[in-house]
Amino acid sequence: MKKTLEKEAVLRAYKRKQLLITLLPALALAILFGVLCALVSSKGYRLDIYLKKILNEGVVLAVVATGAIFIYSLGSFDISLGASTLFSATLGVMAYNATESFPIMILVIFGVAIGCSLLSSVLASVFHIPVFVTTVAMMSVLTAVASQIISVNGGALGGISIPSKLVRPLDTIEFKLLMLFGYAALCIFVFNFTKIGRRLKFLGGNANCAKLSGIRADRYAIVAFVMAGIGVGLGAFLTLVYTPSVTPTTAGGIGMNVIVAIVFGGMPISGGPRSRIYSALMGGFSYILLNNILKMLISGNAGYGISQIVSAVFFLAVVYITGMNYRTKLLAR
Amino acid sequence: MKKIIAMLLALVMVLSLAACGGTGDGNKPKEIKIGVLVADVSGEEALAFRNYYEKYLAPHYGVTLTYTEQLEDAAAEKAAIETFAAQGYNAIISLSASDRASQLETCAQYGMYYAIASGMDDALYAEHKSNEYFVGQIGPSMTTEYEAGVAMGKYFKEQGVKKIGIYGAFVPNPMHVYRLAGTLVGLGLSYNGATEMEAIAGQLYAGFDLNAVAGDIAVTHYIAGYSDTMWDELGAAMGAGIDAFISVGMATTFFADMLNGAKLPYSDIDSFTSGNGKNVKEGSLKYLAGKYASSVGPIFAAVINAVNGNAIRTPEGYALSISQSYLVATDAASFDACYGADQGDKPIISTETLDTVIGEDVTYEQFVAIVK
Repeated sequence: MKKTLEKEAVLRAYKRKQLLITLLPALALAILFGVLCALVSSKGYRLDIYLKKILNEGVVLAVVATGAIFIYSLGSFDISLGASTLFSATLGVMAYNATESFPIMILVIFGVAIGCSLLSSVLASVFHIPVFVTTVAMMSVLTAVASQIISVNGGALGGISIPSKLVRPLDTIEFKLLMLFGYAALCIFVFNFTKIGRRLKFLGGNANCAKLSGIRADRYAIVAFVMAGIGVGLGAFLTLVYTPSVTPTTAGGIGMNVIVAIVFGGMPISGGPRSRIYSALMGGFSYILLNNILKMLISGNAGYGISQIVSAVFFLAVVYITGMNYRTKLLAR
Repeated sequence: MKKIIAMLLALVMVLSLAACGGTGDGNKPKEIKIGVLVADVSGEEALAFRNYYEKYLAPHYGVTLTYTEQLEDAAAEKAAIETFAAQGYNAIISLSASDRASQLETCAQYGMYYAIASGMDDALYAEHKSNEYFVGQIGPSMTTEYEAGVAMGKYFKEQGVKKIGIYGAFVPNPMHVYRLAGTLVGLGLSYNGATEMEAIAGQLYAGFDLNAVAGDIAVTHYIAGYSDTMWDELGAAMGAGIDAFISVGMATTFFADMLNGAKLPYSDIDSFTSGNGKNVKEGSLKYLAGKYASSVGPIFAAVINAVNGNAIRTPEGYALSISQSYLVATDAASFDACYGADQGDKPIISTETLDTVIGEDVTYEQFVAIVK
């Protein structure tokens, strides 16, 4: 009887720990939000502008990272997302300037983004090399081609652009939230309520086991990359909505920030059954909030370096804490 | 477990309540606060400007001047402006050029004045000159950039060079395009048969082609941009026996050690800094056209006036657009004459000079006079 009670107590303690770790990303987001509000208020700054700024900074990262969850759930890794965003935006601007058609620009942006994403996965399948390797190559190629297009067509302005009046009406909080939550809802539906999501997680958890169960990894990898491509396309479009110009450095930090966002959101980089769509949303905005808090606390050039170090320490801490939850659950691969 | 969650939620609530309990006067400017957008935080020219602003002007006028970190793209520029707006800044001075139209529109959206402390594309100026929040631009115009290139080219032609290498810096950046066009003309060269400013500049935006250059002086090597191989390319040019290396910008940053070590005559359009003084006196920098630190003083004065409600406009009522010329040094004495006059508490454009154009009754003509 005593042993049974002890076992139940241990089980309850374990469940409490698991629940806390599961809730940690949401709690961290809430705490960071509270800290930001307190800091802004104590310094006499305008909270409304700060919140708008954080949405503007976070929305592109969040949509690209949300799409990237499909790839990361497989245990794959795509470092070319920033370059794909730049390339899609570049060709979108070129398409608009050639046709002056907004719908054509949208079609080109999404078509190019999905095409780039698919190309990475197809190359990996054809040459039987890890997806990560093809995305490294894609990153170099897409950045170089986009830079060349921008340099040749940028002319006197040093970058290419569409008329700001074309996208200014869309540069609102309402529109951006609609896009963000609309895309997140689509991803949640596909990931959580269809067999696609279940099989992606199965493949990420144990590819050998999944294949022996009759799941075709190539087919689901293509679906994952298409979903990620839609995220990249939406990210490229929202980038243009925010600033209607493209330079070779546009979206340069997204590739690495997506990884940080996903980790901050509590999802293991190794993918598998603990993959969650909301990880990207929470992690993306947590990362942006943390950056803004650090910039407020540490000003000046030294502050930039210090905030990077603090972010890195935070990153490692989150990886360690979230790792406590899944480290012992991994199946042998 | 519940206690832990409850405590964390309580912490969030307390912090949020603290946020609601602010004084509510974050909007009211208590002092003049100016944000400075910068794309280069470590170059000698950028540091010279910063010293002049932060150590000389800001204390004298009691102005808060805040520099951004290095801004990589248009989105970073806009985010920086939004941060300044949230923190109650009154104006922005821009030394970053990823998307100036977007910078100006964002400033206007938040009711902040906007000024450019360098040259600006003519078409962009024409598009925005009526904007009430656009203070203006003071810096070398594209024509001035072209003329600086012409003068530099002429100098080397008079030195009798026969075989040269050119560093095109960041062509198609407009100012580098116009400097390069001017350099070719100054050297007496044509580009695809063209010898006029706009005709050459228009072609250079698409890139530089060595085969398009014709004339008595041979341009055998051309380097542009920033890459891991550009030092090897310069080494190849030096190995080929060029007489001089002409740069339209940034050579002193990237190549000074190599060129000084080889004692190869070179030139640059940069700024009057201690580092460039060393290049002139101890190295082989033979021609330097440069800005001086206090050249960014007049735009500061224009911003102060605008914030105080005394905006200076052109006679037609538009934002300012005033071109500044470069100073030129070809030896230690001429370098010292330019650099020495712009040091410490007695810069070329001093607070005494700026005081004459800060106030209610300052005219456009008075302002132009101190810039020129």
